[in-house]
Amino acid sequence: MLYREALNRAIDECMAEDESVVILGEDVGRYGGSYRVTEGLISKYGEKRVIDTPIAELSIVGNAIGMAIAGLRPIAEIMTVNFSLLAMDQIINHAAKLRYMSGGKITIPLTIRMPGGVSRQLAAQHSENYETIYSSIPGLIVLTASNATYAYYALKWAIKSNDPVIFLEHELLYPMEMDFREVKDFNPFRAEVVKEGKDLTILTYLKMRYDVLEAEKELREKGIDAEIIDLNSLRPLDIETIANSIKKTKKCVIVEEDHKTGGMGAEIVAQIMENCFYDLDAPVLRIAGEDVPIPYNRKLELASIPTPDKIVEKILKWKAENGI
Amino acid sequence: MEYEITMPILSDTMDKGKLIKWYVKEGQYVKEGDKIAEVESDKAIMDIQTFKSGIVKKLLVKEGEEVPVKSVIAIIETKSQEETQKEKPKKETNEKTLKQSKIKSTKNIQIPPQIMNLPKGSASPLAKKLASKYNIDIEELQKKDLLPTPAHEKDIKEFILKRYFTPAALKLIKEYEIDENEFKLDHKITKEEVLNYTKQINIPKLTPLTPNQKAVIKTVEKAWSKPTYLIFDEIEVTKPKGIKLTAILIKALSLAMQKNPLTRSILKDDKLLTYPTSNISVAVSRDDGLYMCVIKNAEDKTLEEINEWLKTIKTKKLTIEDLSGSTFGISNLGMFNVKRFTALINDKDSGIAAFGKLIDEKIKVTFNFDHRILNGVDAAKFVNDFKEILKEIK
Repeated sequence: MLYREALNRAIDECMAEDESVVILGEDVGRYGGSYRVTEGLISKYGEKRVIDTPIAELSIVGNAIGMAIAGLRPIAEIMTVNFSLLAMDQIINHAAKLRYMSGGKITIPLTIRMPGGVSRQLAAQHSENYETIYSSIPGLIVLTASNATYAYYALKWAIKSNDPVIFLEHELLYPMEMDFREVKDFNPFRAEVVKEGKDLTILTYLKMRYDVLEAEKELREKGIDAEIIDLNSLRPLDIETIANSIKKTKKCVIVEEDHKTGGMGAEIVAQIMENCFYDLDAPVLRIAGEDVPIPYNRKLELASIPTPDKIVEKILKWKAENGI
Repeated sequence: MEYEITMPILSDTMDKGKLIKWYVKEGQYVKEGDKIAEVESDKAIMDIQTFKSGIVKKLLVKEGEEVPVKSVIAIIETKSQEETQKEKPKKETNEKTLKQSKIKSTKNIQIPPQIMNLPKGSASPLAKKLASKYNIDIEELQKKDLLPTPAHEKDIKEFILKRYFTPAALKLIKEYEIDENEFKLDHKITKEEVLNYTKQINIPKLTPLTPNQKAVIKTVEKAWSKPTYLIFDEIEVTKPKGIKLTAILIKALSLAMQKNPLTRSILKDDKLLTYPTSNISVAVSRDDGLYMCVIKNAEDKTLEEINEWLKTIKTKKLTIEDLSGSTFGISNLGMFNVKRFTALINDKDSGIAAFGKLIDEKIKVTFNFDHRILNGVDAAKFVNDFKEILKEIK
């Protein structure tokens, strides 16, 4: 199943099941969505439930919050996470806080879907990852969908959730063919142990999952048995799964596409220190994007983010430097 | 304050309970909600937890003992851990001492309940924790160059092993894959102690199979699946001085093979491949294992040449050439006083001859033939030719 088909199926099923589910955003209707996620929905559910909006992110989220207050279950699509900066006040000051401010009288069953990350040559203003910002906001749930199975179940869960969910997707994943498996007892907050291993734990999420899996092949050839964990949920973070893995492997590497400084890895390292410092046999290694605006030039673009080669190289260097 | 833990009433019919297992030791600090023991009622096995935090002052019941319900089984001193620590005279607390209460606790993540007195020196947190358990002074050892800087878990483990095990004992626990924690690490453990332990528990020594052993297994398993039959016979032979008996047998076989093309044949893809030369696989027991070494063109070689080949093949470095291309095999256990035995056909060979001990110029021989290549009549003719030729060889 294609990644985008998994998302489409989740939305479609929710809309068929519950009339209060609506989707709004730029080009989600007649055009079928910038990444074809909402393809076919307008002909099925009509333009009152699949709403093409003006290019105005603040109003997309603002309207969606209004709908949510009034009893609908809106899915707001922001064309890329880069544009969500324009909707920040609505997301942070309203979506995240209205339940608290109203003493629980108002709930915001809102899902904000946002593609993001470094795609192919979309340049600095269209290549950012802002999961760190959203993950630091009390009142928001932040899920990252790296694969069709999680995308399908987590998006359905998000739509049905009575609290606002920031649902992050990655632009390079949409056309990817992926395995889909049935899941019973789905828990959106549980990290996935993608591959078990005993030598070190690699934490990752979104598209970097695939770079790590690629790198793992080479690590295996070099005799390193890595455990790979896809975090899935960034807020809340499944520190229990992380800690259990580190207890076993005693070493941890975090691979993230976002800039290193103040990135998701920084928060994860802090939580590891708080929870499993005495299980660590080496300093935690962060493999992250460079602290630069993402370049347009393809070579420079790739130089600015982790790639399978770089992941292997950095892990080997880290192992050598630390004598492990 | 003392807090008493009693045997709980776990079912309405329960009047006695058996203590299966203590999870805690006397002197240990326990938190409210910690499991302290496992007990068995008439219906089920359950855990008992403490409802107050404190130090376990006394465990009043032994594991396996049965006591009436409501009787006191343990006493907890409910003073906080810090208070207890303060009362202990002259307990040093340096800046490295961490207090349990200061460590943020997260559900389901175990945090060592004891106060950690971590050693100085440069080491990973895990290495320090391990070192403190065994009173290892990392800083001192690093000064003496006995530990690397920074030290990791493996360095400390290695050091512990060297400290508590003699080199011979260490080799043994690695060979037997015994966890070092199976031993009480308070004295130097000798080889004898480890051997005793392996006898007590009856632990097998693990020897990985060599490539040769694996190859032998594969060959004999394949041989076992072939449709074969046996011919038993006895041959007369005079052994000339200075020549190995096997050399004579090889020579006679090679000449008999020349008269019987089927013994120079193998099966391949629905075809019979008949080779012109007598190439014989000879079972050779070498220091590095059992090999079926192939002597090529045996029919053209003199007895002396075959004899020489048998000597050099024992020690020579074998190549793939030395191990392939045969169509018939020979195995001789006569020198080991075996009177008669049967052998399995090697690889693609059409058959094999197994020779026993030379007694009064006679040897018992068992031929094993691949029925797909030779029928009984063909085999009988071959055996008779072989016997005739043998009489002529001097």
